[in-house]
Amino acid sequence: MSFVPGLGIAKGMALTMRRFFEPKATIQYPETAPDIAVRFRGRLQLLYDELGNLKCETCFQCAAACPVECIDMGGFDTKGRFHVHWGAAEQYAERREESALRRAGRPVPDPAYSRFDPIDTSAVDGILERYDFDQKEMLAILESIQRTYGYIPVAAVKRVSQVSGAPYALIYGRATYYSHLRFEKPRHTVAVCRCTACLMAGASRIARSMGGALGTEIGRPPAGGVALEQLPAHIPGAASPLVTLDGTPQPRLTAAAAAALGRTLAGGPVA
Amino acid sequence: MPAPQRPPRPHKARPAASAASASAAAPASKGAKRTRRPAERQPSLDDPRIMLDRQISSDLYEPIPPYPTRTEREAEFYTLGDGEMFLNVGPHHPATHGVLRLVLKLSGEQIVDVDPVLGYLHRGVEKICENSDYYHVIDQVDPLEYLSSLFQEWPAVLSFEKLMDVQVPRRAEYIRVLSGELLRISSHTLYMGFLALDLGGLTPILYGFIERDEIVEMLAALTGARMLFNYFRIGGVNGDLNHEFMSRLGDWMSRAARQTEANAGLLNENEIFVRRMRGVGTLDRAAALSYGVTGGNLRASGVPFDVRRAHPYSVYPELEFNVPTRQEGDSLARYLIRVDEIRESLKIIDQCLHNMPDGPVMAKLPRLLRPRPGRAWGAVEGPRGMLGVYAISDGSDQPFRFRIHDPSFVNLETVTALLPGHLLADTMAVVASLDPVMGGIDK
Amino acid sequence: MSFATRTWGGMSSRARLLAIFIPVAIAAAVVTVGALVLLGPPFLDFLGANMPLVRFVVAAVAILLLTVPTAFVLIYLELKVIARMNLRVGPNRIGPWGAAMSVIHGLKVLSKEDFAPTGTDVTVFTLAPVVTYMASVMSLLVIPFAPGLFGQDFNIGLLFFFSMGGLTVVGLLMAGWSSFNKYSLLGGLRSAAQIISYEIPLTLSVVGVIILAGSMSMNRIVLAQSGSALDWFVFKQPLAALIFFIAATAEANRTPFDMTEADSEIVAGFATEYSGMRFGFFFFAEYVNVFIVSALIATIFFGGWTAPFNWPWAYNLNWFHPLSIGILGWVLIVANVVLIGTVLFAIAARLLGGREWGLWDAIGLGFLFLLVVVAGLVGTAGFIAFDWVAGLVWFMAKTYFFVITFVWMRATLPRVRVDQLMGFAWKWLLPASLLNLFVTAAAVIVTTPGGAR
Repeated sequence: MSFVPGLGIAKGMALTMRRFFEPKATIQYPETAPDIAVRFRGRLQLLYDELGNLKCETCFQCAAACPVECIDMGGFDTKGRFHVHWGAAEQYAERREESALRRAGRPVPDPAYSRFDPIDTSAVDGILERYDFDQKEMLAILESIQRTYGYIPVAAVKRVSQVSGAPYALIYGRATYYSHLRFEKPRHTVAVCRCTACLMAGASRIARSMGGALGTEIGRPPAGGVALEQLPAHIPGAASPLVTLDGTPQPRLTAAAAAALGRTLAGGPVA
Repeated sequence: MPAPQRPPRPHKARPAASAASASAAAPASKGAKRTRRPAERQPSLDDPRIMLDRQISSDLYEPIPPYPTRTEREAEFYTLGDGEMFLNVGPHHPATHGVLRLVLKLSGEQIVDVDPVLGYLHRGVEKICENSDYYHVIDQVDPLEYLSSLFQEWPAVLSFEKLMDVQVPRRAEYIRVLSGELLRISSHTLYMGFLALDLGGLTPILYGFIERDEIVEMLAALTGARMLFNYFRIGGVNGDLNHEFMSRLGDWMSRAARQTEANAGLLNENEIFVRRMRGVGTLDRAAALSYGVTGGNLRASGVPFDVRRAHPYSVYPELEFNVPTRQEGDSLARYLIRVDEIRESLKIIDQCLHNMPDGPVMAKLPRLLRPRPGRAWGAVEGPRGMLGVYAISDGSDQPFRFRIHDPSFVNLETVTALLPGHLLADTMAVVASLDPVMGGIDK
Repeated sequence: MSFATRTWGGMSSRARLLAIFIPVAIAAAVVTVGALVLLGPPFLDFLGANMPLVRFVVAAVAILLLTVPTAFVLIYLELKVIARMNLRVGPNRIGPWGAAMSVIHGLKVLSKEDFAPTGTDVTVFTLAPVVTYMASVMSLLVIPFAPGLFGQDFNIGLLFFFSMGGLTVVGLLMAGWSSFNKYSLLGGLRSAAQIISYEIPLTLSVVGVIILAGSMSMNRIVLAQSGSALDWFVFKQPLAALIFFIAATAEANRTPFDMTEADSEIVAGFATEYSGMRFGFFFFAEYVNVFIVSALIATIFFGGWTAPFNWPWAYNLNWFHPLSIGILGWVLIVANVVLIGTVLFAIAARLLGGREWGLWDAIGLGFLFLLVVVAGLVGTAGFIAFDWVAGLVWFMAKTYFFVITFVWMRATLPRVRVDQLMGFAWKWLLPASLLNLFVTAAAVIVTTPGGAR
């Protein structure tokens, strides 16, 4: 076929010239807002309720659920305000250097967390060894930590994140999901044994009245700085029903005495 | 874990040699030339900072195994004949459709041999899918061929539905077909644009992007995202059609046929374009079948194989459409097939809209998915060919093996057969006409 | 702290700027006026005595100064026109309607690091852009912009132009060879082959015009087309015009013949290793080439600076002699017009625009308006009164028409492959131009009474 610039090229050029005069498809962005669909989920925004308060409570559940681990957040603890970042923790959050280096297994000083009490983390290392650094056993790991320290210190969570390689946000999200895990050291911890012998001796009534006095239940967050727990095992040689206050077994308690003890501990007047 | 302590290196002090190397490294006088030949830049072997292989292997560690011997093909390729040279159309190139490296052996401007090097975009998707829940897999598999994300999710979802014996509601199937065909049109329009861009025409790609923008905005109204949709679910789709999507779709359909014809007309009859593409990169029928090429490239070589007709899935048996086939097998035929497929997709979209049934869009499934142990294969006809997923489940909540069969990978292999004998400028025409997307090739 | 330091520290930045600017401006004005008064007349006498030298210097300086703004305008035009054809808007943020984009590009290119990659031949590498640019610039010497407004009127002007075109090949080859890069080598060789192949149809197609005009001087060619539009050579030599157009596109390395800088195949061709101002030179050279080639088409085939029809009125503004007012008179007139005009337009802007125009904005806008109006008036007066202004306007209009045609082709057409390009030149354009030459010569012999000259 002879290469004579003919009809095809002319038709193409006519089309371009026609398009020269047609309205353009450019949206001048800052002046014209683009027409975004309602369902568009790329628009990241936190919602406010009708009173103007931010709904987000930095509960870390979205971070735990995210399949690509791209959400991290800071809250009142580190920033003094709500502040949620969307992005890898390596880039956005105050856990930036730490997250970037945690897979290297090196401890990293983090100035944002300097006001959290440093603790002795050798116990945490032991717990992790026992569970073989498996992220799937995170609940058991956290419960062990709580049993060891009485609460879950932030420094322990950081140590777990650093050694096991799981992102901080995921661990924190797991921890806040369960109500029996707590982040503050309670002033007092009351533990009720619920083995068969103690149950026969009325431990459940004691637990209920204690809980009523304190305002919480076994397995719920502490109230008034006092945590109500279940003893994991009956201390050999102790009488039933067994109630320990901060680890020391209390003498025989009735339900009323338990309620009184609860009120004392909570700081109210003894009825 | 602290790094293992290394024993200190044996440090042989050779003052005479170090003085010589120091003087060789620094320019001796003001009048020395500024450009340093490569030979000068290599430190001499007596430099105490260099540890030779024999020192390492004899003193510290086990002997280093010898460099793997060259394969025959490598040896054949990397020996230069008379008047030949290597040209590296490297990963950083404006026209290689992503990060593809083609090492060309040229004799003047004519290509003698080609060695494609892949793997620059490898992200370990198959391995990640082995460690994710079944829901997460759909999200992970989206960015494979990012221009047509839904077609990546579809075979995954098909294979999982076979593993779990899930019946997908008919409305969901129709929505899948509708969104898939829309995305096919968008992908083909972009293909035309990129082909023209590689050949030097600056305009068709902009027109292609206008089309793609409209389609992708439509799909954002439907799925919630513009490019990586994450829309298909096991047992259906994530969300029904809504008013915004239907209004945008109606708007677009009223203009679609005319606009695509106009955009295609800019290239179809352009003599320069046709002369660049006709007879270039001819893939004959037997070679196409032996390579395992699928999709438009196979149909351009005369084999009317379309997965939608050969191994029907979803509601395609109920829809009427043709399978365009051409006999020439050159780049122009591959391009024209895509233009024909756009028309067919418009017909399919019309039929979907007319026959859309009512009903739920998602089957009832448990929260935690644990399919029975087994294997399943799901394949769809993507814009580039047959996209398949071979999923093996071991009864847990994560797939045991998730193997992706990507059409671009196979299509790109034909480059070694198509290119030799053509000129350097034809590289772009051939590679662009095969429509590779490196995300899918490198997985 | 001394008084000076305290005062300086206390001033705002605007005040500081004025405090520096005003004394410097006054000093400069005094020096200039003094120099003019004292040295002016002897200098003018010297110039008057050596007119040809003056003319040469002025022409060379004017041409060098003309190229960069031309390139800027062309770059901007290309960006906007191609964008409009692509259904998008093009640069519109920098400056009004994006007009300062070219300037920013120029500044950007100036501010890049200046290096020569390892392994290059540094002398050749540095000289290549200079050669290419100078070849383009020197071609501007022979183009007649208006009656009397040209650099030099060689009587082999056309031949000079083609030889300068050949010189660009040298520059491109130097660039391709000295970069230590296979892509550049391929680009340079392709460019050499392309330009050399297309020189021949280019030159041959113009020979018919030379026969018709009787001379190779560009001025004579334009004068041979004076009269009306029907005298233009495009109607007498349509085939030659077409061949010249296609070959000129190839000479200027424009799409569809831009294999040398095919940026989807050999990255940037010969200019792959260039960055910063060296690349800026190549860039400018390309756009100046486009301008030159369009100017040439306009000159040779479309009448140059002649108007398409006889301009009906040609006033002679003889009753107004500019020098009769004197310098002081001119200063007074300019000052008054600027002040009063600015104030009037500012008031108008303020009234029409409502309260949104602040004081300084309104004054600035008024000044701009005034400039536009005065330029329009002066331009119209010049167009009517001076034939060189009219000629310049027509010349520029025709040239930019062809420039836009080139840009239009770049927007629409894909690239031609190297072997197809060469095949086209040697197999089609060359025989066509020879055919054209023979037919023209035969026609001239047949129609001239008394045989050939």
